[in-house]
Amino acid sequence: MFHALVAVKQVPDTTNIRIDPETGNLVREGVPAIFNPYDAHALAAAVEWKRKLGGKVTVVSMGPPSFIVTLREAIEMGADEAYLVSDRKFAGADTLATSYVLAETIRRLNEQDPVDMIFFGKQAIDGDTAQVGPGVATRLDLPILTYAVKIRDIDLEARKAIVERKTERWVEVVELPLPVMLTCDKEIAEIPFAPLPDLIRSLKYDPEVWTMAGPVEFDRGQVGVRGSPTIVYKMGTPELPEPGEKINTREVGVEAAVREALAKAESAGVLSAVLGGAK
Amino acid sequence: MSDNEQIRFDAVVVGAGMAGSAAAIVLGKAGLNVALIERGQKAGSKNYFGGALYTHALKEVLPDFMDRKPPFERPVTEAGFWFLSRDGGLMKATIEGGKLAETELPDAYITMRAAFDAWWAKQAQEAGAFLIPKTTVVDFIRDEQGQVIGVQTDRPQGDIYAPVVIICEGVNNLLTQKLGLARRDVEPAHAALAFKQVISLPMETINARFGLPDDAHGLAVSVLGDVSLGLPGMGFVYTNKKSISVGLGVMLDTLAEYRLRPYDVLQRYLQHPAIAPLVEGGQLLEYGAHLIPEGGWRDMPQLYAGGVMVAGDAAAMVNALHWEGTNMAMIAGKLAAETAIEAHKRGDFSAASLARYRDKLQDRFILQDLKQYRNFARFLETHPQFMDVYPNFLNSALADFFSAYGKPKKVLFREIFGELTHRRPLLKAVGDMISMGKAVMGW
Repeated sequence: MFHALVAVKQVPDTTNIRIDPETGNLVREGVPAIFNPYDAHALAAAVEWKRKLGGKVTVVSMGPPSFIVTLREAIEMGADEAYLVSDRKFAGADTLATSYVLAETIRRLNEQDPVDMIFFGKQAIDGDTAQVGPGVATRLDLPILTYAVKIRDIDLEARKAIVERKTERWVEVVELPLPVMLTCDKEIAEIPFAPLPDLIRSLKYDPEVWTMAGPVEFDRGQVGVRGSPTIVYKMGTPELPEPGEKINTREVGVEAAVREALAKAESAGVLSAVLGGAK
Repeated sequence: MSDNEQIRFDAVVVGAGMAGSAAAIVLGKAGLNVALIERGQKAGSKNYFGGALYTHALKEVLPDFMDRKPPFERPVTEAGFWFLSRDGGLMKATIEGGKLAETELPDAYITMRAAFDAWWAKQAQEAGAFLIPKTTVVDFIRDEQGQVIGVQTDRPQGDIYAPVVIICEGVNNLLTQKLGLARRDVEPAHAALAFKQVISLPMETINARFGLPDDAHGLAVSVLGDVSLGLPGMGFVYTNKKSISVGLGVMLDTLAEYRLRPYDVLQRYLQHPAIAPLVEGGQLLEYGAHLIPEGGWRDMPQLYAGGVMVAGDAAAMVNALHWEGTNMAMIAGKLAAETAIEAHKRGDFSAASLARYRDKLQDRFILQDLKQYRNFARFLETHPQFMDVYPNFLNSALADFFSAYGKPKKVLFREIFGELTHRRPLLKAVGDMISMGKAVMGW
């Protein structure tokens, strides 16, 4: 039996998000929350292979209670069980603290029922760090394959899988030992239209919520703001460069325009560079 | 749930709009296991109107609705008609205070459907209905006699069985047609395309521009006259809390015949000298449109068959002149639900058993009004002078009446009268009034 574990996140729909020009922060008000798209594709792959091999898909997420909607959506997409790790003390977590909480949670779930493959999206579309998956793999001392785009085979008997990984120049075909972690790009699987029984089950489903109180014993110093050494010094949008000055040849004539341009270049101290480039 | 297990409910309601959620509230309260199926991401995501909701219908379906904090914008404290003339004039015939203020509960609330429908469906859920979103009913399941015993959805393994189905699918009534209850699509000559802009403005600006003391006061007006290029159409203005809804409805065949783009008609309306200052400086929040089935009585499908009933826009339950539709939908949904509950008690879902639904509608204003207004749908089309000649005349006459030109009033009145007879021969004008009366009274 194949046991896949998928970590998912709820994110603001960044396709219609604005940045506050004053503070540089994302304006989250009124922006719909969605299932992080990469996670959704990763989940679809996990469900696809569960259906091929038999077994189950467990979904886990860390976040506020509003994430329950996302976990229900995971059930709709074919997950069997969902866990939300949620506590006010987890608030303000950076990728280090988040990977700690998720790693400890997954360690616990693995003790209950050993996991063959852990799926993450390659990154979340809000922070775009792509750090939490690798962070969890490191903490769990698991092999990891990032940018996975296709699972060719999973052999539970031989305890290995063959997975394609996209790099900037080519596709690598990698043989991996199980258990293993994949961080997935969208090509990993199409998201199917869920059957009605799965939708109905999801609408009635309440994910199990784990907190600081248990069952996992978290180290208070490693969660939330306390466990997050990242300091955001400043956020902002890059300023667009000022457009250059234009000299209209129709108004002043070509000769005068060239002369004026050269004079400006000389006074700016870039003339030799311009001439050098022309050589 | 195993794959071969059938999904069963006591009743299925198709569409979580005004009628559908009302039906589901009543069924749920009666303890029936009801599935409320909505094709949108959530209830309200496909719906759009002017508009204002009438409290009498809300109260009838859900007596404690006010305690459940419906997401209303403002109560309607001023209502009536505005007449725009071609030369930029605006004549207002609105009522505020008086009867409108007498009742403890305002008669109507200005509302945005996206927010309201989500809340309305939530009331159905709290009454015990099971809301299934993101799912479209595409066909029916029938027994050997052809009686409906469930629905097919667009999802894999998507069949849902129920002995009674209430169809509240809206104006595009494909399922009603599939059953043969409606013969064809709503005809373009019987459907209005209503389109509007929601324009954001500070609350204080809205209050100042419309003469409203605060956001507990709101204005809802029908705008006639120079609204839609002299073609049959009616405009509207509603004040929300921090925005205003301005739009108009034009018959679909008119738009087609004159090759008009709705957006252009709306732009022109918004530029009318009487409208432009109201929206000035506002930021466009939304632009949307929805079809309204205005065929009424003449387009009404057969309202029931074995195992099914039809309510709301799908059954052309709209009284265009009075902006009524949502109230009819809610009450029809409730009456269909009551019929379904009685059918459950009898264990008989045949057409003969569900015929009670039609009787109930007949006992109420719904079928009575729709029958009375059966000729009105085409009235404005055959009498375009009501959109053009009369509003212009009224504006001009009123301007004359309240101007001192320094001439004898006898002369002035003769001029005003002369203007009318110039615009429309007297006999024809009298004839227009009589046919208007007939269309409204249903003679």
